[in-house]
Amino acid sequence: MPLKTSVSRRAVLAGAAAGSAALAAPSIVSAQAGTLRIGVLLPRSGLLAQAGQSCHRGALAAPRVLAELGYRVELVHVDTESNADIARTQAERLINDGAHVLTGAFDSGHTLAIAQVCEQRQVPFVVNIAAAPPITEQGLKFLVRNFQTGPQLVTNGLRLINNLITATKIAPKRAVFLHANDTFGQAQRNAMDAIFPRTNMPFELVESIAYDPRAQDLSVEVTRLRSLRPDLVLVVTRASDAIKLVRDMVRQRFEPMGIVSPGSPGMYDEEFYQALGPLADFHVSNLPWVNPKSAMTQALERSFAATNPGNRFAADGFNAGFTFEALLIAADAFKRAGTTSGVPLMEAIRATNLAEHVMIGGPIRFDEKGQNPNIGSACVQNRGRTPVVVLPEDNATMAPVLPMPGWQGRT
Amino acid sequence: MSVFAALNGRAKLLLTLFVLGLAAAPLAADRYLVSVLILIFYFAYLGQAWNIMMGFAGQLSLGHSLYVGLGAYIAAALWTKFGIGPWAGMFAGMAIAMAFGAAIGWLGFRFGIAGVYFALLTIAFAEFTRIAFDHMDWTGRAGGLFLPVRAEQAGQWWNLRGGPLLFYYLALALMLGALWLCAALRASRLGHYWLAVREDEAAARALGIDAFAVKMQAVLISSAMAAIGGTFYAFYYNNLFPAQIFDMSRSIEMILAPIVGGLGTLFGPILGAFILTPLGEGLIAATEEAGLSAPGTKAVFYGLALMAIVWVAPSGVWPWLRRKLGLETP
Repeated sequence: MPLKTSVSRRAVLAGAAAGSAALAAPSIVSAQAGTLRIGVLLPRSGLLAQAGQSCHRGALAAPRVLAELGYRVELVHVDTESNADIARTQAERLINDGAHVLTGAFDSGHTLAIAQVCEQRQVPFVVNIAAAPPITEQGLKFLVRNFQTGPQLVTNGLRLINNLITATKIAPKRAVFLHANDTFGQAQRNAMDAIFPRTNMPFELVESIAYDPRAQDLSVEVTRLRSLRPDLVLVVTRASDAIKLVRDMVRQRFEPMGIVSPGSPGMYDEEFYQALGPLADFHVSNLPWVNPKSAMTQALERSFAATNPGNRFAADGFNAGFTFEALLIAADAFKRAGTTSGVPLMEAIRATNLAEHVMIGGPIRFDEKGQNPNIGSACVQNRGRTPVVVLPEDNATMAPVLPMPGWQGRT
Repeated sequence: MSVFAALNGRAKLLLTLFVLGLAAAPLAADRYLVSVLILIFYFAYLGQAWNIMMGFAGQLSLGHSLYVGLGAYIAAALWTKFGIGPWAGMFAGMAIAMAFGAAIGWLGFRFGIAGVYFALLTIAFAEFTRIAFDHMDWTGRAGGLFLPVRAEQAGQWWNLRGGPLLFYYLALALMLGALWLCAALRASRLGHYWLAVREDEAAARALGIDAFAVKMQAVLISSAMAAIGGTFYAFYYNNLFPAQIFDMSRSIEMILAPIVGGLGTLFGPILGAFILTPLGEGLIAATEEAGLSAPGTKAVFYGLALMAIVWVAPSGVWPWLRRKLGLETP
């Protein structure tokens, strides 16, 4: 029996024609005169949604602060769905729709997919977060990165461990490096293997253990860890596996002097605090962080509270801060260039020299490869279920505490 | 040409217009539309590769990302490590993908692993290959393999170093080439054997068809085609990560177009890709326009649209459209 539907051939053809026209017709540029239109590409759904949404909250808070600073921007938010195909086609669409600058994209693969589009179309691309070194090693002329590379994250992270040992007067002898075996974790492992032997750390790195971040629990890894008797556990995690790691450590009553990340997410994410409560405290993440003493950071925090009332700026500081700075870089360059045209705007971006900004570190400047070499790192320790800067002293709001208190009796 | 000659007059006219329209599209289309069309052609091509396995030979594979990933990684690694061009790399990738396909096929068909159990076998191979690539130094482990993008190589089309137009016509050629190949295979003795095995394997055996050999040929051809798609992907995106390219979600993406378009049909994978990719892109724009900024909104509407399509045309859109357009051979 033939299937009867109410859809006529004419309707199908009309629909197809309308769809094609909608795709083909270049959208009318609607940005107001004197306003910079910035496309913000972030993975707000899919595998990377948690971090992408955190970055997005920073982007939502940005326009108010930028307006206070005299910058005029219009943001167009696009979800890349943690998919490189969508990142690439949406970059094309944003440029068609009149975006003058693109920012994003949290993931290195997505970032490179967008970078190729920007390079071909001569539209500036300011990377907010993406650590793969090849991003700034390919000679791309329309890309700058205001984020540390994987090796920089590890180098700064290890240096801060030394500072932490000095500040807390602990004397660790053995450490184990435990990392998620994903793109980011593997990049950190490579950097660790290359950098650690040259750092003259006061402890021995006994072993590196890779784990599958999709594993249901990390009991096997923690059993192995326990048998190695490390004083320090150096970790590269994401939020979900950091939770599993601590839970399995508590279950197996394994209490090292400290759990320190030499540059990774996981232990400062809201999910970590919510899931672990008091067990989330005293872990340390060494990574770039918002400067709590900067006036611009305080302004961003106020705007963040107004635009994201259900979220804490403290837990989103890393993602929100870098996303804000990417927008600040674009807005500042636009003000200096006085044009939205790609080539002069990119020249202005490359000539950026911003002494006042939100992340810890020196002025935002870019080297000939488009990399900002002045991004600093901080020791961020969880205290009272809030990430707090404890080093360097100039930026610290509390003193570091190590060895961490035992699991028992925490409230 | 015999494939084309077998079509009725209206089908010949529409196919000619379709091909000419796509060949001329970059003259009128903007960069965004070109990038969307490249994705459509790519998924249509991969859909054809998968359709040989499932649509023609009746073997459910949910791990075709394995062959795409192998084709991508082999060609990309040969290019980055030894400077071996993508065309030679493509053949190496095809050979290795076919070897994996042969191993899966032999295990499955020799020991009578069929249906969902065969699907599980394909998933298992894709997963352990992903884990293996996560640990292989030579291909950058989980940290990824990056193809260098150098300005001085920009015009080297023979090394697949070029702009969107190069990849547009390459993807179009892949899609049309796969259509022709599948039509030729379907009309061949082998194609008829596949259909016989798909419909009733026991009856096909009783008629003297060597079901094992016939199914092995399906998996070998399908894996080789998927590997070519992988080479295209590697040189289009210029970076590869095991977690992305071997992921099961990639396999699912690949099979949606032939399922929606019409399983076992020649034009189904193409029509399916022409429906699904613009649907996804259109929904992104539409949800944005409607101010529905909550993450995942598009995915909800996409799922609803898929359900509606499957409800309206449970055998796929192409069989329904073919009847409506009067393209059925009398």
